[in-house]
Amino acid sequence: MPTAPFLAVFRFSAKLVRRSKRTKVFVAVAALPVVLALVLQINRLASPGLGLDGLTVFSNVVMGFSLQFLVLLLSLFFGTSITADEVDNRTLTYPATRPIPKMAFILGKYAASVSFLLILILASTILSFLILMADRMSYGTAWTFLGRSLAALGFGTICYTALFTLAGTFLRKSILFGLFFCFGWENVVQYFPGTTQKFTIMHWLKSLLPGIEAGMGPSNDGTGILKFLLFRHEPSPAWAAVLVILALSTAFLLLAGYIFSRKEYLFDE
Amino acid sequence: MSGNGTAIRASKLGKWYGNVLGLSDISIEIGAGITGLLGPNGAGKSTFMKLITGQLRPSIGTITIGGRPVWNNPEVFRRIGFCPEQDAFYEDMTGREFLTGLLGLYGYVPSEIRERAGRALEFVELTEAADRMIRGYSRGMRQRLKISQSLAHEPDILILDEPLNGLDPLSKRKVIRLIKEYRTEGRTVLVSSHVLPEIEALTKSIVLVHQGKILAEGDIHHIRSLIDTHPHIVAVRTSDPRGLAGRFVGQADVRSVRFDEAEGTVLFETKNRDRFFDRLTQLAAGREFDVEEITSPDDNLQSVFDYLVGK
Repeated sequence: MPTAPFLAVFRFSAKLVRRSKRTKVFVAVAALPVVLALVLQINRLASPGLGLDGLTVFSNVVMGFSLQFLVLLLSLFFGTSITADEVDNRTLTYPATRPIPKMAFILGKYAASVSFLLILILASTILSFLILMADRMSYGTAWTFLGRSLAALGFGTICYTALFTLAGTFLRKSILFGLFFCFGWENVVQYFPGTTQKFTIMHWLKSLLPGIEAGMGPSNDGTGILKFLLFRHEPSPAWAAVLVILALSTAFLLLAGYIFSRKEYLFDE
Repeated sequence: MSGNGTAIRASKLGKWYGNVLGLSDISIEIGAGITGLLGPNGAGKSTFMKLITGQLRPSIGTITIGGRPVWNNPEVFRRIGFCPEQDAFYEDMTGREFLTGLLGLYGYVPSEIRERAGRALEFVELTEAADRMIRGYSRGMRQRLKISQSLAHEPDILILDEPLNGLDPLSKRKVIRLIKEYRTEGRTVLVSSHVLPEIEALTKSIVLVHQGKILAEGDIHHIRSLIDTHPHIVAVRTSDPRGLAGRFVGQADVRSVRFDEAEGTVLFETKNRDRFFDRLTQLAAGREFDVEEITSPDDNLQSVFDYLVGK
């Protein structure tokens, strides 16, 4: 039975993603929270009674790094590369002269990148959590916290990668745009009061994290464990956050597919 | 193939890059056999090939494959194989992975992918190196791999953009042989080059492109006849060059006569090639002169091209 174009592109691209040098570098970056968790846990075990609680470290350090840096960075480099790499390396000719609808090409490549990133980011987060919480596995609220953290990271990866896939289809310097967007717009506007912060993707992602309303009171480390991530955050309902993120991701991808099917890509000779 | 055997048809085709003209008013029909697209760098050959392969959208006019437009029509690519000019690959793959990956995009089942990849690698003599990383391939191997990806799905239209560029003589001969082998009955092969002897080694059917326009098309001899007002040089080796020269000097169509004593030939510059050869044949048949060899030093693509662009 013939393979659907989307699946064919997904398989081909998944191999390219796994093999690229960029992947090796970012696997190392994604391993940083695990290394950090290991160092902290060894330190805590060596000096009992000293150091921070595992959940506090996980929520403020690991999640802070993963949500506000790792997800953005990986999505930026993998998302923009979906078309930019093919154009810069002048390999776009090969898939472009195959019987593949251009929308299927974009979606297949996006799916390959996102699935790899999800595995990488979520695995790194789960490992860090297990290391830091090794002695508190029975702490039920922590597992809820982990679940919602993974949701925030997962939806963040999906949405940011879709945005940067779109940027890569029409911007020559999409990385520069992405750096400005991630570390300028997103990291600044999310702290603005009122409705303004809702113009960032990060606002919606942080709305997925557990807050006081999730039953994590200060005595249970609730907002205390999130004091760094939820600084000045005025949460929206989680269901609204999921809807907004999915709507944005879909819109970014459809627009990327549309632009890619209309645009002519010229190589620098 | 469309009803009359035309595989590729361009009609009033034009392409601009902003204000820069890439191709202008191209109308051409290309059918079975090898057709050479010839022109200097920047003439518009690659633009034409990118239009044929749907990588660029025509600014004006139409380009069709088997009667169907190419731009944003992916099904057309089942019939087309394209070997790009640029030396670009997914370097972190092996040759076999490169081929199987691209064949996967045609929707073949895995067993067919493996079979086709194996055949294509064998055709370009890369079977032994198939499982090595592409980044370790020589220039000739890379070029052959590029050709193999263009024909692995056995298209009836093969388009090769400067396939001999940068190859050593041995690799060139290999690639020329491969291209000629691929051209079987009914298949269309379009090859571009800016190096004239390369095209000459592949085909006599040529299209001359210059500054985005087609200067001439057809058999090289037909093209030669199009420029019959331009003097044509004929070299004749004979035991009596001066005697032979004397018989032609008085003829109106002969513009000049020169002697190449080292070669033992006399070179005639004539404005009427056919009349000159008629007369020469009569002299030889009447045994007035012995003619050992007749050559046309400028009856090659270079001179045709030079004449047409007014050099």
